Amino acid sequence: MKRRSFLSLSLAILGSTALATLVYPLVRFLAPPEAKTLADKLSIKKDDILPGEAKKIQFGNTPAIVINIYGKGYIALSQVCTHLGCLVEYDKEKKQLVCPCHAGVFNLEGHVVSGPPPKPLPTLPLKVEGEHIIIG
Amino acid sequence: MWEKIKKGIEVRTGLGELIKKKQHEYQVPKDTNIFYTLGIIALVAYMIQAVTGYFLLIYYIPHSDHAFRSIQDIMNTVPFGWLIRMVHIVVSSLMVIIILLHLISLFIMGSYKKPRELTWLAGGCLLLVVLMFCLSGYLLPWSQRSYWATTIATNMPTAFPVIGDFIAKGLRGGDYISGITLTRFFAIHVAFLPPLFLLLIGLHVFLVTRIGLSTPAFSKSAEDEKPWTEYRPVSHTNSYPFYPHFVLKEAFMITAFLAVTFFLISFMPTLFIPEAANTPADPFKTPAHIKPEWYFLAPYQMLKLIPNKFFGITLQLILVVILLLWPFFDTKKERNILKRPVLLSVFLLLLAMWIILTVWGRIS
Repeated sequence: MKRRSFLSLSLAILGSTALATLVYPLVRFLAPPEAKTLADKLSIKKDDILPGEAKKIQFGNTPAIVINIYGKGYIALSQVCTHLGCLVEYDKEKKQLVCPCHAGVFNLEGHVVSGPPPKPLPTLPLKVEGEHIIIG
Repeated sequence: MWEKIKKGIEVRTGLGELIKKKQHEYQVPKDTNIFYTLGIIALVAYMIQAVTGYFLLIYYIPHSDHAFRSIQDIMNTVPFGWLIRMVHIVVSSLMVIIILLHLISLFIMGSYKKPRELTWLAGGCLLLVVLMFCLSGYLLPWSQRSYWATTIATNMPTAFPVIGDFIAKGLRGGDYISGITLTRFFAIHVAFLPPLFLLLIGLHVFLVTRIGLSTPAFSKSAEDEKPWTEYRPVSHTNSYPFYPHFVLKEAFMITAFLAVTFFLISFMPTLFIPEAANTPADPFKTPAHIKPEWYFLAPYQMLKLIPNKFFGITLQLILVVILLLWPFFDTKKERNILKRPVLLSVFLLLLAMWIILTVWGRIS
């Protein structure tokens, strides 16, 4: 290798290394801070949700909805549409969850009925203990 | 006294002589139409946005607890705050219209062809930067529309596996839109995008002055007689100096643009401000029938119609890339679109589809 080529190569390597050392701190700087989880368990009274009704809650950082389905009991679902992140609304008459942004429709178990959402709404763990519903 | 100062500066800089020489030297084809002035109008619109933006910064508070209130104060309490903000809002939409018209007219006139491919590319990138300005700008009022439009936009990268989530979280600064997103978008809007815009506009103007304005495809031109194998400025056979002829045309169009701006502010003040833009952001309630700004209605409606998120977003990206790189795909020498029925039909079809999707998105 000629001396001039060697110097050019060395300069290129040194320059790239210097740039690369700046990339890591920059990526760390831009990376989102750790989210604080607000609660890992949430309790609500059973009487607060009559059959056919729903109640909106915030579980951790996720907006969620607890529905009392006729004959099937309670279910807790994330309210965040799996398409582009808008919040689904409970339609009591049609027994569906509808996204107001791109018209995605889910059934009360969170499965996609129609529209562009690619997957079902995530279900949150839920159990009934006495007079309370425990989510999480 | 004034004349003395002017002469003193002229002796030391020769600035007047330079401007005079350049303006007279720069020749413009005589058959240029008013569509040739759209570029300068876009530049004027940007300058208006910069100036009104600086004034808004004095009262705007980029914090999720205060942003909405500070915007309300600008509109209702600060003397003439409403005027500064309304100009900022109206000109942002008009700027998109102007750049779109500029691109459409250049397309029809075949002005993107060799040697102006890079000029087109810089112009297309400018449109994207303007759209980024709009998107980052409309989170700042922290209204319902701001919040949910940004939720949708920042979720778009999630259509792509592996890197999608990382990009989305990086943009938002977390899993959801929050105060961190607001400060990020504020920084993008006022600090990152302006130098990028100026860089692109600098490149665009440099290329336009270096190569010269194109002759409309429908007129006789000496431009394409010699093949473009090496750099040469365009020599027009039928031309006049840039100053005063073309400058007068530009001045007329800028006046018309300002007239339209103030007409909209005076008689249609709510045209670009729907109800959801006047309601404070509520992270726990997506408003029913939320719609994006008019220029995002076509992609919005497309996402509604295409059942697959990845396909829907990828298709839009492909269309944008084709638009940007079109001059490199279309290498035919013929510039007159009327003599190219296939291209004309495809162009009209795409334009009609865009209009239909926009109207459909609005009324659906």
